[in-house]
Amino acid sequence: MKKMFKKSAIAAASLGLAASILAGCGDKKEAGNADEFKGKITIWDGPRWPDEEENKFHWLEAKIKEYEEAHEGIEIELVQVPWAEMGDKLGVAIAGKGWPDIAPVDISGSAISIDHIEQGVIESMDDYLDKKEKEDFYENALDAYTYDGKLYGIPNSITLHSMLLNLDLFEEAGVEPPKDGNWTYDEFLQAAEKLTFDRDGDGKIDVYGFSTYIMPGYYEAWPFFYKNGGSPLNEDMTEFTFDSPEIVQSIQDLADLKLKHKVAPETLGGNDVGGTFQAWANEEQRTVAMEPWATWAIGAAQGAYPTNFAVANYPTGDSKDPVTIGGVGGWVMMHQDDANKRAAVADFMKFISTADEQYHMAQHYGIFPARVSAAEMDPFKDNPEMTRAMEMSDQVVMLPRHPEWRKIDEAIQNELQLVFNGEKTAEQAMADAKKAVDKIIK
Amino acid sequence: MTQMPMGAVPKKKEEKMKLFRKPNKNLFRQMKKNYSAYLFLLPKLILFTLFVAIPVVWAFILSFQKYKVFGSEFIGLENYIEVFQSEAFWIALKNTLLFTVVTVPFGVISALVLSVLIFELGKLSQSIFRSAFYLPTVTSMVIIAMVWRWMYNYDFGLFNYVLGWFGVGPVNWLGQSSTALWALIIMQCLIPFGVGIIMYLASMGSISQSLYEAARMDGAGKFKQWIHITIPLLKPTTLYLVLLSTIGSFQVFTQIIMMTGGGPGSATETLVHLIYKTGFRDFDFGLAGAQSVVLFAIILIFSIIQFRVLRHDE
Repeated sequence: MKKMFKKSAIAAASLGLAASILAGCGDKKEAGNADEFKGKITIWDGPRWPDEEENKFHWLEAKIKEYEEAHEGIEIELVQVPWAEMGDKLGVAIAGKGWPDIAPVDISGSAISIDHIEQGVIESMDDYLDKKEKEDFYENALDAYTYDGKLYGIPNSITLHSMLLNLDLFEEAGVEPPKDGNWTYDEFLQAAEKLTFDRDGDGKIDVYGFSTYIMPGYYEAWPFFYKNGGSPLNEDMTEFTFDSPEIVQSIQDLADLKLKHKVAPETLGGNDVGGTFQAWANEEQRTVAMEPWATWAIGAAQGAYPTNFAVANYPTGDSKDPVTIGGVGGWVMMHQDDANKRAAVADFMKFISTADEQYHMAQHYGIFPARVSAAEMDPFKDNPEMTRAMEMSDQVVMLPRHPEWRKIDEAIQNELQLVFNGEKTAEQAMADAKKAVDKIIK
Repeated sequence: MTQMPMGAVPKKKEEKMKLFRKPNKNLFRQMKKNYSAYLFLLPKLILFTLFVAIPVVWAFILSFQKYKVFGSEFIGLENYIEVFQSEAFWIALKNTLLFTVVTVPFGVISALVLSVLIFELGKLSQSIFRSAFYLPTVTSMVIIAMVWRWMYNYDFGLFNYVLGWFGVGPVNWLGQSSTALWALIIMQCLIPFGVGIIMYLASMGSISQSLYEAARMDGAGKFKQWIHITIPLLKPTTLYLVLLSTIGSFQVFTQIIMMTGGGPGSATETLVHLIYKTGFRDFDFGLAGAQSVVLFAIILIFSIIQFRVLRHDE
């Protein structure tokens, strides 16, 4: 876990240095006194795990009630926002300066950009978390929320992507899953070929070995592109490097699963996220044997879509080491004018980010805790699949934290879609992506 | 030929000048006289100001700014220059124009044909068909898009299922650049233009039957009556519907975000989806404002052209 996000840390440090030169040091804000604040705090959150009544907000509702009882005069309003709408709604709220006080945000995700931090929309947490408290967080989880040397949020979860193997289909095709979840790309391809078969003998393929989708903001397929080494941008993020021969070869290899080897359905590389998951997990379908997913899918396959499955690494290429892409989730405090309210908001954020809460969330919500002490409580002792996924945290690389990453991402993903539907070769597509990205970063 | 005296104003022109001069001169007196009408208009006027006029003006102001949450800066025409230099804008414009050029004539003509067919029916049948064809208008486009997404599904979709009957292999309708935009166009064309049908039926009901009787006495058949009486007298309705559907087509968005996200590549990128991404994904509200103003200008130009071509001359 400690190696986690090494590349991200270098990128963040470079970016931070550049920003400090450009922007200079910000003004020191008054820390305020939480006890002196009386009033309303607004928090946004998306649905998490359900209780007996299928209420997916019960955890935060209970924490709010507990906090309000202990802090007379403070009212906390929970605004329920579907995760799919969180980014857009937050964007609109920021544009209209009508933001909540607290929002659940992956700082490197699409809802909040580094540009927002530079503009002062996000409050720094440095005054509210001392050195000892910070030491309880994984260093790289803090790095993900650190910009220009300041902490802009409290990490509460770590996610990563892994290969999920449908063991029923492996058994049906007589294929052995990779030992300890480790395999080379050739072994993966051989397995995919055997897992592609005509189940009912009508001459048509019913089950495919592999599938995934390609869309801006989604990175399930990307660890395949890193298998021979390389990254989208160079270390100081001034140059597009996703057109390097090793990356181009990796992209073409994955697209060829459909185009050449015919071990993936026509929909490989499309934009149907739900349909792709259903093809792997839905009992009535089960038409794809292997798919890469973020850790939430492990929880889904253990709960709503009971599936006999195993977790495996992404297959390795020339670099020999398996790679995956990770993310860090957490709470951020939006801009506050009142110092006392700022302190109260920070206090509540800490209240819902304790080791116990992160342990609880890890057990029920399919995420890894961002606190060392929560991980040490071993939330996955009865969950071998999550334990296996957690072992992959050493393989994590983070995406570049470029201020214009969303535009860069779209330029790359749009071209990737054209590789996977056979309209361009990987080489052509990345040459075209380079032209678009060069315009963005220069 | 009779010469007009020097300095004399032609009668028709004089009437027009009066029309423009009189309300300006007596504006306040007129308003005072009709204050009750203005009171009735006030709620709508307030809503219009708050939710249409102010945002439009704000978007226009934003288009000259580098937007920042705390203190935007004026950058002149830079956003407009960026709009016209952006490849994405021209791709989106091309796709939007193709969508509009195909769907608007198809929608209006099909509404006219359907209205004529329905108009011939009895009252009960008319009501049934009128309701049936109007139903998609009151159905959320999100729902319609979800249904059509299923119909275009590669593995389980209706279209590929039907193609299978004829021994034709499945088509990746929304996943190929060559078919994705056309799939959206076909979808739009096959959704009945409910407003158009209702308006055409209403307009046809107001055409005097004596005109048809006279035509019949002169030996005109149904088709000739349709060409020489119905269509010319429906011209004001047609103009309104063409304007309405052109504006709607230029603003196509829900289908795009629900079904393709603008992809594959940029194959289904449209202007409003591009504005949405620029504003709410890139948070570049200045550039999004400039794109919106350009879209407004394009729609305005198209509307003026359509108005001049289709207007009902006295």
